[in-house]
Amino acid sequence: MSAHRTPRRTVRLNPTRIGIYTLLILFALLFLIPVYVLVVSSLKTFAEVQDLSRLWSPPTGLHLESFRAAWWGIPEKGLRGLSQNLLNSVYLTVPATILSSMLGSLNGYILSKWRFRGANVLFPLMLFGMFIPYQSILIPLTQTLAAIHLGGTIWGLILVHVVYGIPITTLIFRNYYAEVPTDLVEAARIDGANILGVYWRVLFPLSVPGFVVVIIWQFTNIWNEFLFAVSILQKPDVQPITVALRNLAGSQIQEWNMIMAGTLIAAVPTLLIYIIMGRYFIRGLLAGSVKG
Amino acid sequence: MVPKIMKQGRFTPWFYLLGALVIMTVFIVYPTIRTFTLSLRDKTGANWASADCVRGQPCWGIFENYRYALTDKEMLEALRNNALWILLTVPGTVGAGLMFAVLTDRVRYERIAKTIVFLPMAISFVGASIIWKFIYYLEAGARSQIGLLNAIIVALGGEPVAWLTNPKWIVNNISLWIVWIWLWAGFCMTILSAALKGVPTEILEASRVDGASEWQVFWRIMLPMILPTVTVVATTMVINVLKVFDIVFVMTNGLNGTEVIANRMFKFIVTNQGRSMAIAVLLIALIIPVMIINIRRFREQEAMR
Repeated sequence: MSAHRTPRRTVRLNPTRIGIYTLLILFALLFLIPVYVLVVSSLKTFAEVQDLSRLWSPPTGLHLESFRAAWWGIPEKGLRGLSQNLLNSVYLTVPATILSSMLGSLNGYILSKWRFRGANVLFPLMLFGMFIPYQSILIPLTQTLAAIHLGGTIWGLILVHVVYGIPITTLIFRNYYAEVPTDLVEAARIDGANILGVYWRVLFPLSVPGFVVVIIWQFTNIWNEFLFAVSILQKPDVQPITVALRNLAGSQIQEWNMIMAGTLIAAVPTLLIYIIMGRYFIRGLLAGSVKG
Repeated sequence: MVPKIMKQGRFTPWFYLLGALVIMTVFIVYPTIRTFTLSLRDKTGANWASADCVRGQPCWGIFENYRYALTDKEMLEALRNNALWILLTVPGTVGAGLMFAVLTDRVRYERIAKTIVFLPMAISFVGASIIWKFIYYLEAGARSQIGLLNAIIVALGGEPVAWLTNPKWIVNNISLWIVWIWLWAGFCMTILSAALKGVPTEILEASRVDGASEWQVFWRIMLPMILPTVTVVATTMVINVLKVFDIVFVMTNGLNGTEVIANRMFKFIVTNQGRSMAIAVLLIALIIPVMIINIRRFREQEAMR
Protein backbone atom coordinates (compact mmCIF):
# COMPACT_ATOMS: atom_id res chain seq x y z
CA MET A 1 0.00 0.00 0.00
CA SER A 2 2.26 2.67 1.27
CA ALA A 3 3.43 5.20 -1.21
CA HIS A 4 7.07 4.88 -0.24
CA ARG A 5 7.15 1.35 -1.59
CA THR A 6 6.01 2.41 -5.04
CA PRO A 7 8.54 4.12 -7.31
CA ARG A 8 8.52 7.83 -6.69
CA ARG A 9 7.82 9.12 -10.16
CA THR A 10 4.45 7.34 -10.25
CA VAL A 11 3.27 9.30 -7.19
CA ARG A 12 0.69 11.79 -8.41
CA LEU A 13 -0.85 14.63 -6.54
CA ASN A 14 -4.49 13.78 -6.08
CA PRO A 15 -6.93 15.35 -3.60
CA THR A 16 -6.26 12.67 -0.97
CA ARG A 17 -2.53 13.25 -1.09
CA ILE A 18 -2.97 16.99 -0.92
CA GLY A 19 -5.21 16.46 2.10
CA ILE A 20 -2.62 14.25 3.80
CA TYR A 21 0.14 16.76 3.15
CA THR A 22 -1.92 19.68 4.43
CA LEU A 23 -2.83 17.80 7.56
CA LEU A 24 0.74 16.75 8.21
CA ILE A 25 2.16 20.21 7.62
CA LEU A 26 -0.44 21.64 9.99
CA PHE A 27 0.44 19.17 12.71
CA ALA A 28 4.15 19.61 12.15
CA LEU A 29 3.71 23.36 12.64
CA LEU A 30 1.64 22.83 15.78
CA PHE A 31 4.33 20.55 17.15
CA LEU A 32 7.05 23.03 16.31
CA ILE A 33 5.44 26.13 17.81
CA PRO A 34 6.66 25.44 21.37
CA VAL A 35 10.16 24.83 20.04
CA TYR A 36 9.99 28.05 18.06
CA VAL A 37 8.84 29.94 21.15
CA LEU A 38 11.72 28.41 23.09
CA VAL A 39 14.46 29.37 20.64
CA VAL A 40 13.13 32.79 19.66
CA SER A 41 12.33 33.98 23.19
CA SER A 42 15.71 32.91 24.49
CA LEU A 43 17.43 35.09 21.90
CA LYS A 44 15.44 38.18 22.81
CA THR A 45 16.16 40.83 25.38
CA PHE A 46 13.85 41.38 28.32
CA ALA A 47 12.33 44.45 26.65
CA GLU A 48 11.78 42.53 23.46
CA VAL A 49 10.12 39.58 25.10
CA GLN A 50 7.71 42.03 26.76
CA ASP A 51 6.86 43.66 23.45
CA LEU A 52 3.67 42.11 22.23
CA SER A 53 3.90 43.46 18.71
CA ARG A 54 7.10 41.51 18.27
CA LEU A 55 5.74 38.22 19.59
CA TRP A 56 6.15 36.30 16.37
CA SER A 57 9.11 38.19 15.03
CA PRO A 58 12.59 36.86 15.28
CA PRO A 59 14.82 38.74 17.72
CA THR A 60 16.33 42.03 16.53
CA GLY A 61 19.80 40.61 16.73
CA LEU A 62 21.75 37.86 18.37
CA HIS A 63 21.09 38.85 21.95
CA LEU A 64 23.04 36.57 24.16
CA GLU A 65 22.20 38.49 27.37
CA SER A 66 19.55 35.95 28.27
CA PHE A 67 22.04 33.13 27.98
CA ARG A 68 24.60 35.05 29.99
CA ALA A 69 21.99 35.67 32.70
CA ALA A 70 20.81 32.06 32.70
CA TRP A 71 24.40 30.83 32.84
CA TRP A 72 25.81 33.14 35.51
CA GLY A 73 22.60 34.13 37.29
CA ILE A 74 21.54 37.62 38.38
CA PRO A 75 23.00 37.95 41.89
CA GLU A 76 21.31 41.29 42.63
CA LYS A 77 17.93 39.68 42.04
CA GLY A 78 18.94 36.58 43.96
CA LEU A 79 18.81 34.33 40.89
CA ARG A 80 21.30 31.48 40.68
CA GLY A 81 22.87 30.71 37.34
CA LEU A 82 22.83 27.25 35.83
CA SER A 83 26.56 26.84 35.15
CA GLN A 84 27.30 24.79 38.27
CA ASN A 85 24.15 22.72 37.83
CA LEU A 86 25.00 21.90 34.24
CA LEU A 87 28.35 20.60 35.46
CA ASN A 88 26.55 18.65 38.18
CA SER A 89 24.39 17.05 35.52
CA VAL A 90 27.55 16.03 33.65
CA TYR A 91 29.13 14.63 36.84
CA LEU A 92 25.92 12.73 37.47
CA THR A 93 25.03 11.50 34.00
CA VAL A 94 28.42 10.46 32.62
CA PRO A 95 29.47 8.02 35.39
CA ALA A 96 25.93 6.72 35.88
CA THR A 97 25.56 6.04 32.16
CA ILE A 98 28.96 4.35 31.82
CA LEU A 99 28.55 2.21 34.93
CA SER A 100 25.01 1.05 34.17
CA SER A 101 25.92 0.24 30.57
CA MET A 102 28.98 -1.77 31.62
CA LEU A 103 27.06 -3.69 34.25
CA GLY A 104 24.16 -4.26 31.87
CA SER A 105 26.55 -5.57 29.24
CA LEU A 106 28.21 -8.02 31.64
CA ASN A 107 24.90 -9.22 33.02
CA GLY A 108 23.38 -9.51 29.57
CA TYR A 109 26.36 -11.59 28.44
CA ILE A 110 26.15 -13.96 31.38
CA LEU A 111 22.39 -14.37 31.16
CA SER A 112 22.45 -15.05 27.42
CA LYS A 113 25.58 -17.19 27.01
CA TRP A 114 26.03 -19.17 30.20
CA ARG A 115 23.98 -21.96 31.56
CA PHE A 116 23.66 -22.09 35.31
CA ARG A 117 21.18 -22.75 37.99
CA GLY A 118 19.60 -19.63 39.35
CA ALA A 119 19.18 -17.81 36.05
CA ASN A 120 15.53 -18.65 36.53
CA VAL A 121 15.50 -16.73 39.80
CA LEU A 122 17.44 -13.80 38.53
CA PHE A 123 15.44 -13.04 35.42
CA PRO A 124 12.05 -12.60 37.14
CA LEU A 125 13.80 -10.42 39.69
CA MET A 126 15.10 -8.28 36.84
CA LEU A 127 11.60 -8.04 35.41
CA PHE A 128 10.27 -7.01 38.79
CA GLY A 129 12.98 -4.38 38.99
CA MET A 130 12.07 -3.15 35.56
CA PHE A 131 8.38 -2.69 36.14
CA ILE A 132 8.16 -1.48 39.74
CA PRO A 133 7.28 2.24 39.87
CA TYR A 134 10.43 3.61 41.43
CA GLN A 135 8.81 6.71 42.80
CA SER A 136 6.89 4.48 45.20
CA ILE A 137 10.04 3.46 46.99
CA LEU A 138 11.53 6.93 47.35
CA ILE A 139 11.49 7.25 51.12
CA PRO A 140 13.04 3.86 51.98
CA LEU A 141 15.55 4.51 49.24
CA THR A 142 16.67 7.86 50.67
CA GLN A 143 16.91 6.19 54.07
CA THR A 144 19.09 3.44 52.63
CA LEU A 145 21.31 6.07 51.01
CA ALA A 146 21.61 7.95 54.30
CA ALA A 147 22.53 4.70 56.07
CA ILE A 148 25.47 4.18 53.72
CA HIS A 149 26.47 7.86 54.05
CA LEU A 150 25.54 8.80 50.51
CA GLY A 151 22.43 10.78 51.37
CA GLY A 152 22.25 14.19 49.68
CA THR A 153 25.27 13.54 47.46
CA ILE A 154 25.67 13.22 43.72
CA TRP A 155 27.30 9.82 44.30
CA GLY A 156 24.14 8.67 46.01
CA LEU A 157 22.08 9.70 43.01
CA ILE A 158 24.59 8.07 40.64
CA LEU A 159 24.18 4.83 42.57
CA VAL A 160 20.40 5.09 42.32
CA HIS A 161 20.51 5.59 38.56
CA VAL A 162 22.99 2.75 38.13
CA VAL A 163 20.82 0.38 40.14
CA TYR A 164 17.60 1.34 38.43
CA GLY A 165 19.31 1.19 35.06
CA ILE A 166 20.55 -2.38 35.50
CA PRO A 167 17.30 -4.21 34.60
CA ILE A 168 16.72 -2.37 31.34
CA THR A 169 20.37 -2.28 30.23
CA THR A 170 20.72 -5.98 31.05
CA LEU A 171 17.65 -6.78 29.04
CA ILE A 172 18.75 -4.79 25.99
CA PHE A 173 22.20 -6.42 26.02
CA ARG A 174 20.77 -9.87 26.68
CA ASN A 175 18.65 -9.60 23.55
CA TYR A 176 21.56 -8.09 21.64
CA TYR A 177 23.96 -10.89 22.59
CA ALA A 178 21.34 -13.52 21.81
CA GLU A 179 22.00 -12.63 18.15
CA VAL A 180 25.76 -13.26 18.46
CA PRO A 181 26.49 -16.78 17.15
CA THR A 182 27.30 -19.09 20.03
CA ASP A 183 29.94 -20.80 17.83
CA LEU A 184 32.19 -17.78 18.32
CA VAL A 185 31.85 -18.05 22.06
CA GLU A 186 32.47 -21.79 22.05
CA ALA A 187 35.57 -21.38 19.90
CA ALA A 188 37.02 -18.95 22.42
CA ARG A 189 36.03 -21.32 25.16
CA ILE A 190 37.85 -24.21 23.50
CA ASP A 191 40.90 -21.97 23.16
CA GLY A 192 40.85 -21.87 26.93
CA ALA A 193 39.35 -18.45 27.59
CA ASN A 194 37.62 -18.14 30.92
CA ILE A 195 34.27 -16.49 31.53
CA LEU A 196 35.68 -12.97 31.53
CA GLY A 197 38.11 -13.73 28.73
CA VAL A 198 35.25 -14.75 26.46
CA TYR A 199 33.57 -11.47 27.21
CA TRP A 200 36.61 -9.30 26.50
CA ARG A 201 37.77 -11.18 23.41
CA VAL A 202 34.47 -12.03 21.74
CA LEU A 203 31.44 -10.14 23.01
CA PHE A 204 32.82 -6.77 24.01
CA PRO A 205 34.39 -5.96 20.61
CA LEU A 206 31.06 -6.77 18.96
CA SER A 207 29.12 -4.62 21.36
CA VAL A 208 29.58 -1.14 19.91
CA PRO A 209 26.09 -0.80 18.38
CA GLY A 210 24.55 -2.22 21.54
CA PHE A 211 26.49 0.25 23.65
CA VAL A 212 25.47 3.18 21.45
CA VAL A 213 21.79 2.35 21.94
CA VAL A 214 22.09 1.75 25.67
CA ILE A 215 24.28 4.78 26.34
CA ILE A 216 21.95 7.13 24.47
CA TRP A 217 18.93 5.69 26.28
CA GLN A 218 20.53 5.95 29.72
CA PHE A 219 22.10 9.34 29.11
CA THR A 220 18.84 10.92 27.98
CA ASN A 221 16.81 9.42 30.80
CA ILE A 222 19.26 10.36 33.52
CA TRP A 223 19.91 13.84 32.15
CA ASN A 224 16.16 14.57 32.02
CA GLU A 225 15.22 12.89 35.30
CA PHE A 226 13.68 15.11 37.94
CA LEU A 227 11.88 13.33 40.78
CA PHE A 228 14.83 11.42 42.27
CA ALA A 229 17.10 14.40 41.85
CA VAL A 230 14.79 16.80 43.64
CA SER A 231 14.10 14.28 46.41
CA ILE A 232 17.66 13.19 47.07
CA LEU A 233 19.60 16.39 46.48
CA GLN A 234 18.45 19.29 48.63
CA LYS A 235 21.47 21.61 48.40
CA PRO A 236 21.27 23.95 45.39
CA ASP A 237 24.98 23.65 44.64
CA VAL A 238 24.80 19.89 44.03
CA GLN A 239 21.49 19.75 42.17
CA PRO A 240 21.44 18.77 38.50
CA ILE A 241 20.15 21.16 35.87
CA THR A 242 16.53 19.90 35.72
CA VAL A 243 16.04 20.79 39.38
CA ALA A 244 17.83 24.14 39.12
CA LEU A 245 15.82 25.01 36.03
CA ARG A 246 12.58 24.35 37.82
CA ASN A 247 13.72 26.57 40.69
CA LEU A 248 14.69 29.31 38.25
CA ALA A 249 11.29 29.14 36.52
CA GLY A 250 9.46 28.96 39.82
CA SER A 251 10.96 32.14 41.24
CA GLN A 252 8.84 35.27 41.49
CA ILE A 253 10.76 37.18 38.84
CA GLN A 254 9.33 36.09 35.52
CA GLU A 255 12.13 36.95 33.12
CA TRP A 256 10.90 34.67 30.42
CA ASN A 257 13.77 35.38 28.03
CA MET A 258 16.24 34.17 30.65
CA ILE A 259 14.07 31.20 31.65
CA MET A 260 13.78 30.13 28.01
CA ALA A 261 17.54 30.50 27.57
CA GLY A 262 18.03 28.26 30.62
CA THR A 263 15.57 25.70 29.25
CA LEU A 264 17.43 25.65 25.97
CA ILE A 265 20.80 25.24 27.71
CA ALA A 266 19.39 22.30 29.68
CA ALA A 267 17.97 20.70 26.54
CA VAL A 268 21.02 21.12 24.28
CA PRO A 269 22.85 17.86 25.12
CA THR A 270 19.82 15.61 24.62
CA LEU A 271 18.58 17.57 21.60
CA LEU A 272 21.99 17.27 19.94
CA ILE A 273 22.08 13.53 20.57
CA TYR A 274 18.60 13.20 19.16
CA ILE A 275 19.33 15.24 16.06
CA ILE A 276 22.69 13.60 15.33
CA MET A 277 21.87 10.03 16.32
CA GLY A 278 18.10 9.86 16.15
CA ARG A 279 18.14 6.39 14.66
CA TYR A 280 19.84 4.88 17.73
CA PHE A 281 17.72 7.00 20.00
CA ILE A 282 14.61 5.43 18.52
CA ARG A 283 16.11 1.95 18.62
CA GLY A 284 16.68 2.38 22.36
CA LEU A 285 13.14 3.57 22.71
CA LEU A 286 11.80 0.50 20.96
CA ALA A 287 13.94 -1.73 23.17
CA GLY A 288 12.78 -0.01 26.30
CA SER A 289 9.21 0.51 25.23
CA VAL A 290 7.88 -2.43 27.18
CA LYS A 291 9.07 -0.84 30.38
CA GLY A 292 6.50 1.87 30.88
CA MET B 1 19.87 -24.04 23.68
CA VAL B 2 23.14 -23.23 25.32
CA PRO B 3 25.66 -26.02 24.62
CA LYS B 4 27.38 -28.06 27.26
CA ILE B 5 30.76 -26.39 27.10
CA MET B 6 29.05 -23.23 28.29
CA LYS B 7 27.91 -24.97 31.40
CA GLN B 8 29.88 -23.68 34.33
CA GLY B 9 30.49 -24.81 37.83
CA ARG B 10 27.76 -23.85 40.15
CA PHE B 11 29.53 -20.76 41.36
CA THR B 12 31.48 -18.98 38.65
CA PRO B 13 28.64 -17.11 36.88
CA TRP B 14 26.99 -16.44 40.18
CA PHE B 15 30.11 -14.68 41.30
CA TYR B 16 29.68 -12.17 38.46
CA LEU B 17 25.97 -11.86 38.98
CA LEU B 18 26.27 -11.61 42.73
CA GLY B 19 27.05 -7.90 42.61
CA ALA B 20 23.96 -7.15 40.57
CA LEU B 21 21.88 -9.39 42.78
CA VAL B 22 23.05 -7.81 46.02
CA ILE B 23 22.45 -4.23 44.92
CA MET B 24 19.07 -5.08 43.47
CA THR B 25 18.05 -6.64 46.75
CA VAL B 26 19.33 -3.70 48.78
CA PHE B 27 17.92 -0.98 46.53
CA ILE B 28 14.81 -2.52 45.00
CA VAL B 29 13.47 -5.47 46.98
CA TYR B 30 14.18 -4.15 50.46
CA PRO B 31 12.79 -0.62 49.83
CA THR B 32 9.65 -2.14 48.33
CA ILE B 33 9.03 -4.15 51.49
CA ARG B 34 9.88 -1.13 53.58
CA THR B 35 7.34 0.99 51.67
CA PHE B 36 4.64 -1.43 52.82
CA THR B 37 5.73 -1.46 56.45
CA LEU B 38 6.16 2.32 56.61
CA SER B 39 2.66 2.81 55.23
CA LEU B 40 1.39 1.31 58.50
CA ARG B 41 3.44 3.68 60.62
CA ASP B 42 2.79 7.29 61.64
CA LYS B 43 4.21 10.62 60.39
CA THR B 44 7.79 9.91 61.41
CA GLY B 45 7.70 6.12 61.39
CA ALA B 46 8.19 6.00 65.15
CA ASN B 47 4.80 4.52 66.07
CA TRP B 48 1.98 2.60 64.46
CA ALA B 49 -0.24 4.72 62.23
CA SER B 50 -3.03 4.51 64.79
CA ALA B 51 -1.04 7.09 66.80
CA ASP B 52 -2.13 9.69 64.21
CA CYS B 53 -5.81 9.06 64.90
CA VAL B 54 -7.75 11.95 66.36
CA ARG B 55 -10.22 11.20 69.13
CA GLY B 56 -13.83 11.52 68.01
CA GLN B 57 -12.96 11.15 64.31
CA PRO B 58 -13.04 8.11 62.08
CA CYS B 59 -10.01 5.91 62.54
CA TRP B 60 -8.84 2.84 60.68
CA GLY B 61 -6.31 1.75 63.31
CA ILE B 62 -2.95 0.83 61.84
CA PHE B 63 -4.50 1.42 58.42
CA GLU B 64 -5.10 5.06 59.31
CA ASN B 65 -2.92 6.25 56.41
CA TYR B 66 -5.05 4.24 54.03
CA ARG B 67 -8.11 6.00 55.38
CA TYR B 68 -6.45 9.20 54.20
CA ALA B 69 -5.35 7.71 50.88
CA LEU B 70 -8.80 6.33 50.05
CA THR B 71 -11.28 8.76 51.56
CA ASP B 72 -9.73 12.20 51.98
CA LYS B 73 -11.12 14.96 49.79
CA GLU B 74 -7.75 15.86 48.27
CA MET B 75 -7.01 12.24 47.51
CA LEU B 76 -10.42 11.73 45.93
CA GLU B 77 -9.70 14.70 43.71
CA ALA B 78 -6.35 13.17 42.75
CA LEU B 79 -7.96 9.79 42.02
CA ARG B 80 -10.66 11.44 39.93
CA ASN B 81 -8.03 13.34 37.98
CA ASN B 82 -5.86 10.30 37.34
CA ALA B 83 -8.96 8.47 36.10
CA LEU B 84 -9.71 11.36 33.74
CA TRP B 85 -6.08 11.43 32.63
CA ILE B 86 -6.37 7.76 31.67
CA LEU B 87 -9.75 8.14 29.96
CA LEU B 88 -8.69 11.12 27.87
CA THR B 89 -4.94 11.15 27.34
CA VAL B 90 -4.47 7.45 26.63
CA PRO B 91 -6.85 7.49 23.65
CA GLY B 92 -5.44 10.94 22.83
CA THR B 93 -1.80 9.89 22.66
CA VAL B 94 -2.43 6.48 21.09
CA GLY B 95 -4.92 7.95 18.60
CA ALA B 96 -2.63 10.80 17.60
CA GLY B 97 0.31 8.40 17.38
CA LEU B 98 -1.65 6.01 15.17
CA MET B 99 -2.81 8.83 12.93
CA PHE B 100 0.74 10.15 12.48
CA ALA B 101 2.03 6.63 11.86
CA VAL B 102 -0.54 6.00 9.13
CA LEU B 103 -0.20 9.44 7.52
CA THR B 104 3.60 9.64 7.53
CA ASP B 105 3.73 6.18 6.02
CA ARG B 106 2.23 7.66 2.85
CA VAL B 107 4.39 10.67 2.24
CA ARG B 108 7.80 11.27 0.84
CA TYR B 109 9.13 13.26 3.76
CA GLU B 110 8.33 10.58 6.30
CA ARG B 111 11.57 10.98 8.25
CA ILE B 112 11.32 14.74 8.65
CA ALA B 113 7.70 14.54 9.77
CA LYS B 114 8.53 11.85 12.29
CA THR B 115 11.57 13.70 13.58
CA ILE B 116 9.40 16.72 14.31
CA VAL B 117 6.64 14.80 16.09
CA PHE B 118 9.17 12.88 18.16
CA LEU B 119 11.26 15.96 19.04
CA PRO B 120 9.48 16.77 22.35
CA MET B 121 10.71 13.43 23.76
CA ALA B 122 14.28 14.71 23.59
CA ILE B 123 13.47 17.62 25.92
CA SER B 124 13.09 16.95 29.64
CA PHE B 125 9.56 17.00 31.03
CA VAL B 126 10.64 19.85 33.27
CA GLY B 127 11.85 21.84 30.27
CA ALA B 128 8.70 21.06 28.29
CA SER B 129 6.53 22.11 31.22
CA ILE B 130 8.35 25.44 31.48
CA ILE B 131 7.96 26.16 27.77
CA TRP B 132 4.23 25.47 27.99
CA LYS B 133 3.92 27.50 31.17
CA PHE B 134 5.16 30.44 29.12
CA ILE B 135 2.70 29.66 26.31
CA TYR B 136 -0.16 29.53 28.83
CA TYR B 137 1.15 32.50 30.80
CA LEU B 138 -1.40 35.07 32.01
CA GLU B 139 -0.18 38.55 32.86
CA ALA B 140 -2.45 39.37 35.78
CA GLY B 141 -4.66 42.43 35.24
CA ALA B 142 -2.74 43.52 32.18
CA ARG B 143 -4.07 44.11 28.71
CA SER B 144 -0.75 43.30 27.15
CA GLN B 145 -0.33 39.55 27.27
CA ILE B 146 3.07 38.04 26.54
CA GLY B 147 2.03 34.43 26.92
CA LEU B 148 1.58 33.17 23.36
CA LEU B 149 -1.93 31.80 23.68
CA ASN B 150 -3.38 34.84 25.46
CA ALA B 151 -1.54 37.19 23.13
CA ILE B 152 -3.31 35.53 20.20
CA ILE B 153 -6.68 35.70 21.96
CA VAL B 154 -6.27 39.36 22.83
CA ALA B 155 -5.09 40.17 19.31
CA LEU B 156 -8.29 38.58 18.00
CA GLY B 157 -10.29 40.77 20.36
CA GLY B 158 -11.00 38.23 23.08
CA GLU B 159 -10.44 38.28 26.82
CA PRO B 160 -7.32 36.59 28.19
CA VAL B 161 -7.94 33.19 29.78
CA ALA B 162 -6.36 31.75 32.91
CA TRP B 163 -5.22 28.46 31.38
CA LEU B 164 -3.66 27.03 34.51
CA THR B 165 -5.40 28.88 37.34
CA ASN B 166 -8.94 28.84 36.02
CA PRO B 167 -11.82 28.65 38.52
CA LYS B 168 -13.19 25.93 36.23
CA TRP B 169 -10.91 23.05 37.22
CA ILE B 170 -11.44 21.17 33.99
CA VAL B 171 -9.79 23.97 31.98
CA ASN B 172 -6.55 23.62 33.96
CA ASN B 173 -6.58 19.89 33.45
CA ILE B 174 -7.19 20.19 29.72
CA SER B 175 -4.19 22.51 29.50
CA LEU B 176 -2.05 19.84 31.14
CA TRP B 177 -3.42 17.06 28.94
CA ILE B 178 -2.49 19.00 25.81
CA VAL B 179 1.11 19.19 27.02
CA TRP B 180 1.08 15.47 27.76
CA ILE B 181 -0.20 14.59 24.29
CA TRP B 182 2.37 16.91 22.71
CA LEU B 183 5.07 15.06 24.67
CA TRP B 184 3.99 11.45 24.12
CA ALA B 185 2.35 11.33 20.67
CA GLY B 186 5.77 10.82 19.08
CA PHE B 187 6.54 7.88 21.33
CA CYS B 188 3.27 6.15 20.37
CA MET B 189 3.81 6.99 16.71
CA THR B 190 7.28 5.46 16.64
CA ILE B 191 6.23 2.12 18.08
CA LEU B 192 3.01 1.89 16.07
CA SER B 193 4.80 2.87 12.90
CA ALA B 194 7.28 0.02 13.38
CA ALA B 195 4.32 -2.35 13.71
CA LEU B 196 2.62 -0.96 10.59
CA LYS B 197 5.74 -1.60 8.53
CA GLY B 198 5.43 -5.24 9.53
CA VAL B 199 2.02 -5.67 7.90
CA PRO B 200 2.64 -7.67 4.70
CA THR B 201 2.13 -5.52 1.60
CA GLU B 202 0.55 -8.43 -0.31
CA ILE B 203 -2.43 -8.60 2.03
CA LEU B 204 -3.06 -4.89 1.68
CA GLU B 205 -2.65 -4.96 -2.09
CA ALA B 206 -4.97 -7.96 -2.39
CA SER B 207 -7.74 -6.24 -0.46
CA ARG B 208 -7.33 -3.12 -2.58
CA VAL B 209 -7.59 -5.15 -5.73
CA ASP B 210 -10.79 -6.61 -4.29
CA GLY B 211 -12.11 -3.05 -4.13
CA ALA B 212 -11.71 -2.18 -0.47
CA SER B 213 -11.49 1.55 0.24
CA GLU B 214 -8.52 2.97 2.16
CA TRP B 215 -10.82 3.46 5.12
CA GLN B 216 -11.87 -0.20 5.06
CA VAL B 217 -8.26 -1.32 4.61
CA PHE B 218 -7.34 0.57 7.74
CA TRP B 219 -10.19 -0.61 9.96
CA ARG B 220 -10.54 -4.17 8.71
CA ILE B 221 -6.94 -5.15 8.01
CA MET B 222 -4.27 -2.81 9.35
CA LEU B 223 -5.77 -2.14 12.74
CA PRO B 224 -6.62 -5.76 13.58
CA MET B 225 -3.12 -6.82 12.53
CA ILE B 226 -1.34 -4.31 14.74
CA LEU B 227 -3.80 -4.63 17.61
CA PRO B 228 -1.31 -6.42 19.91
CA THR B 229 1.10 -3.49 19.55
CA VAL B 230 -1.71 -0.98 20.10
CA THR B 231 -2.47 -2.81 23.35
CA VAL B 232 1.15 -2.65 24.47
CA VAL B 233 1.37 1.07 23.73
CA ALA B 234 -1.96 1.72 25.48
CA THR B 235 -1.03 -0.22 28.62
CA THR B 236 2.37 1.47 28.72
CA MET B 237 0.65 4.84 28.48
CA VAL B 238 -1.75 3.87 31.28
CA ILE B 239 1.24 3.14 33.51
CA ASN B 240 2.90 6.42 32.53
CA VAL B 241 -0.27 8.36 33.24
CA LEU B 242 -0.72 6.75 36.65
CA LYS B 243 2.81 7.89 37.48
CA VAL B 244 2.43 11.40 36.04
CA PHE B 245 4.34 13.86 38.19
CA ASP B 246 6.84 16.25 36.58
CA ILE B 247 4.50 18.31 34.47
CA VAL B 248 1.84 18.66 37.16
CA PHE B 249 4.45 19.57 39.75
CA VAL B 250 6.10 22.20 37.55
CA MET B 251 3.03 23.71 35.90
CA THR B 252 0.36 23.82 38.60
CA ASN B 253 1.75 21.94 41.60
CA GLY B 254 -1.65 20.29 41.83
CA LEU B 255 -3.48 23.54 42.57
CA ASN B 256 -6.85 24.58 41.16
CA GLY B 257 -8.22 21.11 40.79
CA THR B 258 -5.25 19.51 39.04
CA GLU B 259 -3.96 17.27 41.84
CA VAL B 260 -2.69 13.80 40.90
CA ILE B 261 -1.66 10.79 42.99
CA ALA B 262 2.10 11.06 42.50
CA ASN B 263 2.12 14.74 43.41
CA ARG B 264 0.17 14.04 46.62
CA MET B 265 2.71 11.40 47.50
CA PHE B 266 5.56 13.83 46.91
CA LYS B 267 3.98 16.54 49.04
CA PHE B 268 3.98 14.24 52.08
CA ILE B 269 7.50 12.87 51.67
CA VAL B 270 8.91 15.18 54.30
CA THR B 271 5.84 16.08 56.37
CA ASN B 272 4.12 12.72 56.72
CA GLN B 273 5.99 9.57 55.78
CA GLY B 274 3.19 7.20 56.64
CA ARG B 275 0.71 8.94 54.35
CA SER B 276 3.22 9.28 51.58
CA MET B 277 3.94 5.55 51.69
CA ALA B 278 0.26 4.60 51.86
CA ILE B 279 -0.27 6.65 48.70
CA ALA B 280 2.77 4.90 47.20
CA VAL B 281 1.25 1.51 47.97
CA LEU B 282 -2.00 2.65 46.39
CA LEU B 283 -0.05 3.66 43.30
CA ILE B 284 1.65 0.25 43.15
CA ALA B 285 -1.72 -1.46 43.61
CA LEU B 286 -3.19 0.52 40.71
CA ILE B 287 -0.22 -0.17 38.47
CA ILE B 288 0.09 -3.92 39.18
CA PRO B 289 -2.87 -5.11 37.05
CA VAL B 290 -1.61 -3.15 34.04
CA MET B 291 1.93 -4.28 34.77
CA ILE B 292 0.85 -7.93 34.72
CA ILE B 293 -0.66 -7.49 31.26
CA ASN B 294 2.62 -5.99 30.08
CA ILE B 295 4.81 -8.63 31.71
CA ARG B 296 2.69 -11.42 30.28
CA ARG B 297 2.95 -9.98 26.79
CA PHE B 298 6.64 -9.42 27.30
CA ARG B 299 7.18 -13.06 28.29
CA GLU B 300 5.27 -14.21 25.22
CA GLN B 301 7.62 -12.15 23.09
CA GLU B 302 10.61 -13.59 24.92
CA ALA B 303 9.28 -17.12 24.44
CA MET B 304 9.17 -16.55 20.69
CA ARG B 305 12.88 -15.72 20.57
